[in-house]
Amino acid sequence: MMSAIFFYILATLILVFAYKTITANNPIHCALYLAITMINLAFLFFGLNAPFIGGVQLVVYAGAVMVLFVMVLMLFDLKSEIRAFSRGLFSGLLKIASAGLIFGILSNAIFKTGDLLGLASGGPGMPDPAGTSRDLAIMLFTKYLFAFEALGLLLLLVAVGAVAVSRIKGGTHAN
Amino acid sequence: MPISGVLLDVGINHYLVLSALLFTMGMIGVLMRKNVIVILMSIELMLNAVNLTFITFSTYNANLNGQIMVFFVMTIAAAEAGVGLALAVAIYKKFKEVNIRFFEQLRG
Amino acid sequence: MNEKLLMGLMILLPFFGFLFNGLRFRSKDYKLAGIVASLMSGLTFVISLILVGKLISLPAAERVLSAKYFTWMTAGDFSVNAAFMLDQINAIMILVITGVGTLIHVFSIGYMSHDDRPSKYFAYLNLFLMNMLLLVLGDNLLVMFVGWEGVGLCSYLLIGFWFTDSEKAAAGMKAFITNRIGDAGFLLGIFLLFITLGTVEFAELIARAPSVPEVGWSGPITLACLFLFIGATGKSAQIPLYVWLPDAMAGPTPVSALIHAATMVTAGVYMIVRLSGIFILAPNVMMIIAIIGALTALLAATIGMTQWDIKKILAYSTVSQLGYMFLGVGVGAFMPAMFHLMTHAFFKALMFLGSGSVIHAMHEEQDVRKMGGLKKLMPITHFTFAMGWLAIIGIPPFAGFFSKDEILWYSFASPKGHWLLWVIGAVAAGCTAFYMTRLMCLTFWGQSRVPKETHPHESPATMWIPLAVLAFLSVVGGWIGIPHVISAVLPGHPPNVLGDWLSPALASVGEIHGSALVEWALMGISVSLAGISAWVAYDFYVKHPERPQMITEKLGSIYGVVYNKYFIDEIYFARIINPLVDLSKGLWLYIDVNFIDRITYVIADLVKGTGQFLRSLQAGNTQMYALYISLGIVITITYVLMG
Repeated sequence: MMSAIFFYILATLILVFAYKTITANNPIHCALYLAITMINLAFLFFGLNAPFIGGVQLVVYAGAVMVLFVMVLMLFDLKSEIRAFSRGLFSGLLKIASAGLIFGILSNAIFKTGDLLGLASGGPGMPDPAGTSRDLAIMLFTKYLFAFEALGLLLLLVAVGAVAVSRIKGGTHAN
Repeated sequence: MPISGVLLDVGINHYLVLSALLFTMGMIGVLMRKNVIVILMSIELMLNAVNLTFITFSTYNANLNGQIMVFFVMTIAAAEAGVGLALAVAIYKKFKEVNIRFFEQLRG
Repeated sequence: MNEKLLMGLMILLPFFGFLFNGLRFRSKDYKLAGIVASLMSGLTFVISLILVGKLISLPAAERVLSAKYFTWMTAGDFSVNAAFMLDQINAIMILVITGVGTLIHVFSIGYMSHDDRPSKYFAYLNLFLMNMLLLVLGDNLLVMFVGWEGVGLCSYLLIGFWFTDSEKAAAGMKAFITNRIGDAGFLLGIFLLFITLGTVEFAELIARAPSVPEVGWSGPITLACLFLFIGATGKSAQIPLYVWLPDAMAGPTPVSALIHAATMVTAGVYMIVRLSGIFILAPNVMMIIAIIGALTALLAATIGMTQWDIKKILAYSTVSQLGYMFLGVGVGAFMPAMFHLMTHAFFKALMFLGSGSVIHAMHEEQDVRKMGGLKKLMPITHFTFAMGWLAIIGIPPFAGFFSKDEILWYSFASPKGHWLLWVIGAVAAGCTAFYMTRLMCLTFWGQSRVPKETHPHESPATMWIPLAVLAFLSVVGGWIGIPHVISAVLPGHPPNVLGDWLSPALASVGEIHGSALVEWALMGISVSLAGISAWVAYDFYVKHPERPQMITEKLGSIYGVVYNKYFIDEIYFARIINPLVDLSKGLWLYIDVNFIDRITYVIADLVKGTGQFLRSLQAGNTQMYALYISLGIVITITYVLMG
């Protein structure tokens, strides 16, 4: 009972702020709502016995990535937009319809296959939150070591690439 | 952790539907917003929805591979945000605006 | 050297001349252009002499040289070779074409010396020569048709050679369009012959034709011959398609001599003689040809009596003489028709070149009323012209006498002949004598009416030498075909060389019935008719220049009708051309604009709209691309789930 109340509170918050994220006129507000959405999601991760991921979500996502977004927005000095959405009534309706169809397909898949897995009404759960972080670390540095290293390389490349892209025409502060 | 385990009682479908809703919202944002940065944010929303699905299955299946995957997704999302924002900066420098339609100019 | 190479060279040499002059068409160097063109023409003449020599060396029954080069086209049963053949008939043709052609090329060097574009002129002339040789050497109807069209093209180009004068350009177009009508008939004839007999080769056609059952007027052979004859009336200027030839005189005079007197216009006669074995099977068509020929001869001769333009007179004379040739082939006198074709080529080319010499001397003046008394100023031209005059009016022993009288005799005595045809022919001969004498009187004799500012002078050697050669031929050319009635009384009994030469290649109409006495009598009548009318003309125009005026006033309206060429052009315009133009205009303004154009516009709009729509799908709008991706996912998953 309690768990359901907590879940619904969190879920409502997530959906409301996600909605605000995609509808707010001012991009700064969008970023703020997105951060709130992510923090709430982090709580949900904690509740799902994934404390490490929840922590990463808080630190990396709600922290670092969102700061990056906000910083770029500050750089642009954008005012609140008059029209938040792209033009075209017909194409807009088509876009909403296609999103709705995707949602329909997803929920259809959920309700059809969830029962088959035998997990619909709760499963065995995870043993111990403290244990999961340790197991996670062991897996990451043994089984997934190569992927982990490749990811490091990717981040390096992205750093170089991002600098290169934004330096086009004499760098960020030129002109 | 006092709340851990508690949330598991509502059942897997709730999480999956929540994830699907979040994903759809992110998608609407990607499809309909003008501002490139907001579109990037919407993409983050979609990725988060996917992450939620991974975590849900990982927990209910007692399988840690899902969490590893989320870890990777997060990293790649950060990288994607970095490149996307760099592109947005480049667009802004040229057009003094970050409307998605300026990506039409990226031809050739 | 074998005949394949020689016949190929006959086509290639003029073609080389055409390329040589055609590629440097801006050059004003008339001497170089003329010498190259004449050289090519002369070489083909030499080659044709060699070829004819080869032909003579063969036994009389198998005098055919053939040269197959390659298979031109094949479609099912239909197969055409690019092949040439040379037999007795076209041996005469190639000698006339290259011989007279060479003389005219040489003449042109002098005539075109003041022109702006002599290279172009000589290029066209050589192209004409090539096409004409293609026409006569062709071994089948299609090769012949290529030449047939080619000479039509050259005729058009040369009539409209001075195209800056819109009247001359229009004359060229008139010739071309009139010829098209005939050519359509010719093509239909070819098709019909192919469908009926399954081949287009002359030898095969003639061999297979007798096996086709004929029923009166509507048999396939009859119809095919009729269509071929329509083609011939276009090319050879017979009723009803003769109207282009008088206008064709807008071209340079040597062109008139070469194309519109000696060679191209006789192509129709040649074609019928070549296919004599088929035409003989269609007696009804033969009758039509004879009637049309006789009427054309008379009609053109009467018009010729009233004209004032020296070249127009000669043009109507040409139409009239071609009428004789058709009268000849119509009554089965194929040999006399070829004979007359040859002699006519000599004397008419001579007269055209003579008139060219006069026109050249008179500074492009063509009206005979402004000439007269040129005898003293241009003695050589006068003398040679007189030879042609004597030949055309049929004074023995000049060339025209033998050939014309042979045709008249056949038209009377042949199984297909009729005394009425002879009467028409004889009257036309009288008219011929009248207008030719009138031309001589007005141009060379009598009082000079030359304007003070022009000083006529004798032409240069390049111009009078061809005249002299042609004059010689006009005198002696007839002696190779002396009819046996005459040769019987001549010392040494000279044989009818031409008749013996041609007879193996020609179809025969059967025995000529009629006694020598009748033939002598008819000959006497026609010659005396010619003599009388020549004397009358001399009397009218030299001794009593006021008489023609009186007579024309007395005749009044009849003279007016003849002078205006029986209003044939006007009738064509009112009854055929203008209704056609109106109909076309109506079709254009109502059917085309309202209906066909609209359909095309609708289709164009449809395509344009589709393109516009498809273009908008990929305008570079990133969000739309994302939408397509998501729609694609939806469709794919739906399909997979449903499947």
